[in-house]
Amino acid sequence: MQTRNFERRLTRGLERVLAAGMLSMFLIIIVLVAMRYLFQSGLVGANETATVVFIYLSSIGAAVAVGRDEHIGLDLVRRKLGPAGQRFAYVLALLLVAALNAVVAERSLTWIATTGHVPMPATQVPRLVAQAAVPLGCVLAVIYCGTRIAAAWREDSEE
Amino acid sequence: MIFLLLIGLLVLIAAGVPIAYSLGVSVLLYILLDDPQLLSVLPLRLFAGFNSYALISLPLFILMGQVMNSAQITSRLIDFSMLLAGRLRGGLGLVNVLASMLFGGISGSSASDTASIGSVLIPEMEERGYRKEFAAGITVASSTMGMIIPPSIPMVLYAVVAQESVGKLFLGGVFPGIMVGLLQMALVRLLARGVTQSDQQPATLRSAAARTLRSVPVLLMPVVVVGSVVSGIATATESAALGVLYAGLTGFVITRALRVDSAWDCLRSAALTSAKIMIVIALSQAYIWVLALERVPEAIAGFVVDLGLGATGTLILVNLIVLAAGTVIDVSPAILLLTPVFAPALEGLGVSPILFGVLLVSGLAVGACTPPVGTCLNVGAAVARLDIGRIFRGAAPFLAANAITLLLATVFPQIVLWLPDRLMP
Repeated sequence: MQTRNFERRLTRGLERVLAAGMLSMFLIIIVLVAMRYLFQSGLVGANETATVVFIYLSSIGAAVAVGRDEHIGLDLVRRKLGPAGQRFAYVLALLLVAALNAVVAERSLTWIATTGHVPMPATQVPRLVAQAAVPLGCVLAVIYCGTRIAAAWREDSEE
Repeated sequence: MIFLLLIGLLVLIAAGVPIAYSLGVSVLLYILLDDPQLLSVLPLRLFAGFNSYALISLPLFILMGQVMNSAQITSRLIDFSMLLAGRLRGGLGLVNVLASMLFGGISGSSASDTASIGSVLIPEMEERGYRKEFAAGITVASSTMGMIIPPSIPMVLYAVVAQESVGKLFLGGVFPGIMVGLLQMALVRLLARGVTQSDQQPATLRSAAARTLRSVPVLLMPVVVVGSVVSGIATATESAALGVLYAGLTGFVITRALRVDSAWDCLRSAALTSAKIMIVIALSQAYIWVLALERVPEAIAGFVVDLGLGATGTLILVNLIVLAAGTVIDVSPAILLLTPVFAPALEGLGVSPILFGVLLVSGLAVGACTPPVGTCLNVGAAVARLDIGRIFRGAAPFLAANAITLLLATVFPQIVLWLPDRLMP
């Protein structure tokens, strides 16, 4: 029950972040176009900022999609299995997703430590601000894999 | 090693691992077995997949379609289509195709086309004596135009992967999209014998003018989006943002169906939908990087050239492969996987990347209507509450229109290339 509540609250919070991020990305680009045509001027670093927001949206959104079981995939073979087989395949898939994300998150640390201090060309903000989206998304995905496995486990014991 | 990569991918997908992570895990296994030092490349590849200003157009186009849906534009499009074709024999079938053509020019997505138009027209068609398979089939088949007629989300994706002009691809889809629509209309006229005629009274000039005027703001949408890209006023990303702004204004001010909470829901949902595609893009970049390391694209290019089929023969072969792939892979991952494999080989044979892009998307649009994976088929099944086998039987005759267009555009590339060559030389 606690895991389910935690997962629900986490998803709700992250979805708010995603909607706000989407809105800010849209506004940045609209302001950029308006500045160009109405005031004949640009907005330094706007493209870069929008891209950084987009990286976070993609990374966090991919993790939330793990939690909502909404990733694009095929379940043709899985559907043919019995309930126990389906649950086994589901948990196995989640373990593989978690393993991949854990490896990427761990390797990101070295990568960010090496190149994160380099400033981005337009905003001059250190690159690690954008790069951090990768391990953040991966860690969230691992957490979601954990909560999903726990939910599958719980359903199994309830049966 | 390359067999491990390919078979690993197929096994993982079949086992139910999401496609994005199947790609990532296959790469992980490959690296672990071949050279674990390369593991450090994984976060870099993932980041590179996300880090693209051009790709921001993707969530914005998705958002634009969702805002237009929430703005309840469908009823206006159907009303306008009724005005044009509602009184002809097979009128509701024709209205269905026409509404899809117009909707395709607005949402850029076939699945939302199937859901919006299907939920209104399938019950109405059934009431008028159309068989449910027919009604659902034409809804699903006509929704393919959502991917072909600009703006088109799959074409934006192809443009980014192949590094081609979004504007040229949008223009390239105009004639094939219209051809599909006209052929499907001809098939409706042919197949819809014995259904009840519409009991609509002929519209007076005054009411026709009023109904046309009501749909003008909606019909202007593709002009704003495609026009701004083609004229060079805005980049694809900016035109998508302008499209969102226009859709928002239409929903808040003109149709007044959009509310703050539904707009917020559109933002959330568009971010999630785009993230699901983005993770496939990012991890397919890693997969494609390994394919390049193993020189797979070169091997396929060499094999294709050695077949000696010439440009047209090779394109026909590639079309068949795309159609087959479309039955088992969803549109976005298929674009990401097939583009880097076939584009270099076809370019070597002198085939325009714009032509290949339009044919690829058109072929995959058919795949979206075929079992077992077809997204539109599944959406249609949910809307019509009919099993996908029966809907596919209803859609199959109309998909012939897509096949004929695909063949004609392959043999006569000017169908695709004439407009982009004229307007964006």
